[in-house]
Amino acid sequence: MNSSASQTYLKTRVNIFATQLFTDNRILELLDMPLEELSGTFGLTGIIESPLSPQKLNHALEQSLLHSLMSDLSVLLRPLDGTSRVLLIYWSRKFALFNLKTLIRCKLNELSLDEISSYLHHLPDIIRLPHEKLLQAENILEMLHLLEHGPYQSIARQARQVYEEKNEPFSLDAAIDRSYFQGMVKYSNSQIDRGELKELIGMLTDRQNLLWLLRYRFMYQLSSSETYYLLVPFGKYLDRNRLMELVNLDSFQSVLEKLPPKLSRIVSGTTNAMQARQRLDFSLSREMRRLIRFSPSPATRALAYLVARDTDLKRLNALLQGKLLGLDSELVHEALIPPALQEAA
Amino acid sequence: MFSTLPMKHLRIQLLTCDLPEASLILAELGVFAPDPRPILEAELPSIPGEGYRHLYTQARSRFDKIARHVAYTDTLDNKEVHAVSEADLQLTNDWLGEVWSDCSEFEEERHRLRDQLHAIDELEQTLDNFSNLNIDLGRLQQKSRFLEIHIGMVARTQVKQLEEAVGLAGYLLYRFLEREARTHVIIIGALDGESAELKSVLDTAGFRPLQVPEALHSEPEKAKTSLRKQQTDLQQRQQQLESRSAAWRTSIARHLSAAAQTLRQAAPYFQVQNAARNQGSLSAIQGWIPAREVVNAEAGLRQKLHNPLVLESRNPTEDERPIVPSFISRSRLLKPFSLLVKQYGIPRYGEVNPTLLFAVSYILMFGMMFGDVGHGAIILISGILAHRKLGSFTLFAVAAGISSMVFGLLYGSIFGYEHVIHAIWISPMSDPLYMLSMALIWGVGFLVLITLLNIINHLQQNDPSGALFGENGILSLLLYGGLLWGTFNIYQDGAFGVGAAVVALSSLVALFAYKLMGTASPPGERILVAAIETLETVTGYASNTLSFLRVAAFSLNHVALAVAVFTLAGMMEETGYWITVVLGNLFILILEGLIVTIQVLRLEYYEGFSRFFAGDGKAFKPLTL
Repeated sequence: MNSSASQTYLKTRVNIFATQLFTDNRILELLDMPLEELSGTFGLTGIIESPLSPQKLNHALEQSLLHSLMSDLSVLLRPLDGTSRVLLIYWSRKFALFNLKTLIRCKLNELSLDEISSYLHHLPDIIRLPHEKLLQAENILEMLHLLEHGPYQSIARQARQVYEEKNEPFSLDAAIDRSYFQGMVKYSNSQIDRGELKELIGMLTDRQNLLWLLRYRFMYQLSSSETYYLLVPFGKYLDRNRLMELVNLDSFQSVLEKLPPKLSRIVSGTTNAMQARQRLDFSLSREMRRLIRFSPSPATRALAYLVARDTDLKRLNALLQGKLLGLDSELVHEALIPPALQEAA
Repeated sequence: MFSTLPMKHLRIQLLTCDLPEASLILAELGVFAPDPRPILEAELPSIPGEGYRHLYTQARSRFDKIARHVAYTDTLDNKEVHAVSEADLQLTNDWLGEVWSDCSEFEEERHRLRDQLHAIDELEQTLDNFSNLNIDLGRLQQKSRFLEIHIGMVARTQVKQLEEAVGLAGYLLYRFLEREARTHVIIIGALDGESAELKSVLDTAGFRPLQVPEALHSEPEKAKTSLRKQQTDLQQRQQQLESRSAAWRTSIARHLSAAAQTLRQAAPYFQVQNAARNQGSLSAIQGWIPAREVVNAEAGLRQKLHNPLVLESRNPTEDERPIVPSFISRSRLLKPFSLLVKQYGIPRYGEVNPTLLFAVSYILMFGMMFGDVGHGAIILISGILAHRKLGSFTLFAVAAGISSMVFGLLYGSIFGYEHVIHAIWISPMSDPLYMLSMALIWGVGFLVLITLLNIINHLQQNDPSGALFGENGILSLLLYGGLLWGTFNIYQDGAFGVGAAVVALSSLVALFAYKLMGTASPPGERILVAAIETLETVTGYASNTLSFLRVAAFSLNHVALAVAVFTLAGMMEETGYWITVVLGNLFILILEGLIVTIQVLRLEYYEGFSRFFAGDGKAFKPLTL
């Protein structure tokens, strides 16, 4: 396939995939569906009906939904080459990093190898961590040393340095997340259609920065300087100066008030990081749909689709979990479509 | 040699405590491949040895990590082979854990010393830089009542953000030296109780402090001497560490060899995995074994196991045929060819093993296409000289060289010279049409043989309709035969001939009818599909036969290239002539040699294997020690 043919193919592919993204009406339909029908619609009946413990059932559902996302990714990767392909693969590495964090936490808690394995997600070979080797590592430093060769090199090296200095899991997690996002920004800068991709990655970074800022500053009570160091100051709306200004504020509400209008509208009225996250995810999902329809860059459309699909699958998982636990449908509804945004929807 | 060995499914019932020993005995025999299917699940619900396998995995991992640093001997004395108990494996694993811990400490110490030496090197650079800056270093090194000062290094990519982060805490960051991926910085600020906050940021940023010697301001030379002394001390410590490490390696080498033996003896029970099942003290182990080895295996087990056992063997059922592993005889002579066959696939159980046919036809075709006594001799000698690098492929090079030499004699060609030796058979360029017709005859023979093998394969797999009607079955062969006969008649008499037409048409109609019946679609589509598939059989045979023309084409090409080289050489003076001849021959040898090697492989894979060889079998992987 020549370049323009593969771009046309990719755009068409993304458009076809995008038809399965959830509209607000579709979410309402799903909310009203009984569990059996819902699981049947998404081919999850086998898992739902299997006699698994709640924890294993949760893991099996997550795995199945992740598998469907990874299948979409493999289809979108086929016509891509060069740096666009690298960027999409890099984005999907976040799932491998979830596994890495799970491995670290499990190692710290000295769980058995079988137990640790049962918590890990199966991922395509292209992003998969060398689980067997990592499981056999005697400690976390050895584990991070093992990752210092290969695609996780820079993340593992920064994480190891931080762990050597601070020797505690929070900083390690934060270092991994920060390095991952720095990598995203770096890759977006090396793209041909970087203007388009930068907008997308800027939005992702804004969401992440704002959540980190609220969490580090007001939940973990980190100092403004340390909080700032843990952020990635390359967002679309939250640039370096704005972030420096925000980390110096002393209350959750004052941060929300000082946000740029676009972000402020999204999170206004929230009182904690969880609510803010819910609103940001909802809004991000809409922005992704806009990019899928209008972005001239096929790679941007593909990445936007994956981000939106990932959010949808998380919603679906939340919906299934809510129904499995017999939670009140109003509560689940609020979790899926934040009330403040329902009117706008 | 021509087919996979007949296999039996073996089930051994024995006491659970005998399982490790039984696995070891079977591994010593090297003829038993475990079958992990849960056939016995109903009677024997548990899988024994879970703890054993965990221990083995951990011990193996530790051993492999240690073995990268410590040399050991890994020979197994067959007289001392015995099953490893879980307790022994636990002891070995614990010991390996301690050894790995020591090994890691040595490694960490190495890293630390290297870092310290690096830091001194960095500090020397820093001091040189300071001397140019005319900064009062005494102020930097002394504790101040009002100022907090940190001198150190940070990753270059993180400097800007660190500068901004410490700025928020009221500190200034000053960059004064950049080396490789690190930047040397001074961080300075008012001492007002914010140190903990700053330290936290610096730790998160991976800031590495540089310790400036106290005497630096007043006595710089003394400070430099002190740094050199520290450097020498560190180098001495490095040497001591290496001596200790060497002594430690020597001290554990023998134990490590013993651990290697323990792990090798424990491996068979680990590899059995789900093929063994148990219910309390009663166990069973199941797997595949060549039929001729059943008696040996039973005798070996009964001789070495003291407790009673029940051994049952049976032929594979029809359903099991796709999963029965294929045991291919391991002839040393055929090894390189066997490896090339495996690149295409493993023969199914019961399928004809194409290795011998591949070996003979490959070598013959290579010789036909690259016939030259001189070039063949060079391939032969190079193969022998490079035998260490080529390994089992030496034989491949030797056989190809000999074949090339033999055909070189038949063609009368040596290093491209066509008139130095007399051709025993024919010089290719003297009658290209004859060469092409020979290649066609070879191709026809090859395709007929391949089709016969396909028919045999179908019959062996109890598939008579496949043998008769299938692609490359009896009817296809008859059709091919009829077409060839007719073509020969046209060549001889100018007419296709009634007999040939009857054979070709009747087989064509029968094939069409069979495909018509076998297609499940509406009538129009059914006729179309059957017609296309039948036509495909005809065109397939025709194109495959013509493919073999390349055998002659390359023999002509070889001569043509030589002619080109000699034409060029003829334009030169004597020295130039010989240089051109040598370089030209090298060019022919390397480039054409490579192309011919690939072309023959292509003929084998696509015109040969694809007609009769599914290549989707399972390789027989027995337990081994």
